[in-house]
Amino acid sequence: MFVYSLNIWVIASLLALVPSQGEPRKWTAPETFVAKAETRSGATGVASAPVTIHVDRYTPEADLKMMQEALRTGGYPGFLTALRKAPVVGHVEVGDRKIPVRWSRQVPDGANRTISFVTDAPIFFVGGGNPNAKPKAGYELAVLQLKMDSSGIGEGTMAAAARVKPGGETGVVIDQYADQPIKLVSVRREIK
Amino acid sequence: MSICSLVVAVVLSASWGAQPAPSWKPGAPESFHANAQATSDAGGVAAALTFQVDAYTPDAERARLVAALTSGGSPAFLAALKKEKAAGYVQTGERKVTIRYARVQALANGGRRVVLVTDAPVHFVGGGATNAAPTAGFDLAVVEFEVDTVGLGSGTMAMAAKVKAGGPAGVQVDDYAQQPVKLVTVTRNRS
Repeated sequence: MFVYSLNIWVIASLLALVPSQGEPRKWTAPETFVAKAETRSGATGVASAPVTIHVDRYTPEADLKMMQEALRTGGYPGFLTALRKAPVVGHVEVGDRKIPVRWSRQVPDGANRTISFVTDAPIFFVGGGNPNAKPKAGYELAVLQLKMDSSGIGEGTMAAAARVKPGGETGVVIDQYADQPIKLVSVRREIK
Repeated sequence: MSICSLVVAVVLSASWGAQPAPSWKPGAPESFHANAQATSDAGGVAAALTFQVDAYTPDAERARLVAALTSGGSPAFLAALKKEKAAGYVQTGERKVTIRYARVQALANGGRRVVLVTDAPVHFVGGGATNAAPTAGFDLAVVEFEVDTVGLGSGTMAMAAKVKAGGPAGVQVDDYAQQPVKLVTVTRNRS
């Protein structure tokens, strides 16, 4: 009987550790994500770099709406001005460089979530080292998107140098400098 | 020591240090495959390259290029280089860059040192950084590698460079990249 009771208690304790299935877990800032950025050039070239995204806080809905409205009415220049006026909410770290994030938004998807970040400067011009590279002017920000599961693991993409314009189904079209988006692989929420 | 062991020992000592005969005939035309790597604190890049050498540059043409460099510096060298006949190409992806200088030197160990110079840059390593250095003046690429008698080796590559007179060797290579790209494996392709 004693053994039976003990088992009941052990199982009850373990169950208490498992998150309830009905309610999606609420993720809050500050939080940090680490990832590996990977890009390929044809069949013969590959580049990779570690990337860290620090989120101090998520951008308030009012600020997001203000930037969206600036894009709708003022196009890319209007958005860029509004973005640069928005408070810094985190940073993207690549090598010894830290690029401020001024847009961070998470959208729940059941137990998972999609997180988007916009920096106020480009991170890297992929393909910019080619002798016949196109001009870099105008690509003045970077856009990152992560799809994270409930355990803090995910994947994503990064437009390391980009510009945005109004349009498309979502209201925002991302025009990036690189021929193809950089993949963010092995993304995980850092546990402190 | 048995007779058998003695024979093995004699055969081993005879072959020790001796280089196996190449399974190929040295000299152009020949081609090499190389895996290039560049790493920094921020990340790493790897690429596959092909060096096709159709002909090695004769002594007379080499002397002409050295004279141009000595007398007129980098601009004169570049002008003289571009007048040279094509000696092959460096290929990365679908892009081919013409080689106008190709020299081979026999090494004491039986291997060879190969030096190639192209008439245009192959890639500006670090050129995609937001604070990238200006690319002007880095108008060629310099490849240097050694292969053994089997055709295997390693080397370095300045993917965008300028050459100038000076230094102990009389020629200095100024590389656009922070550090030379490593050719971690070089393999002579079977012809």
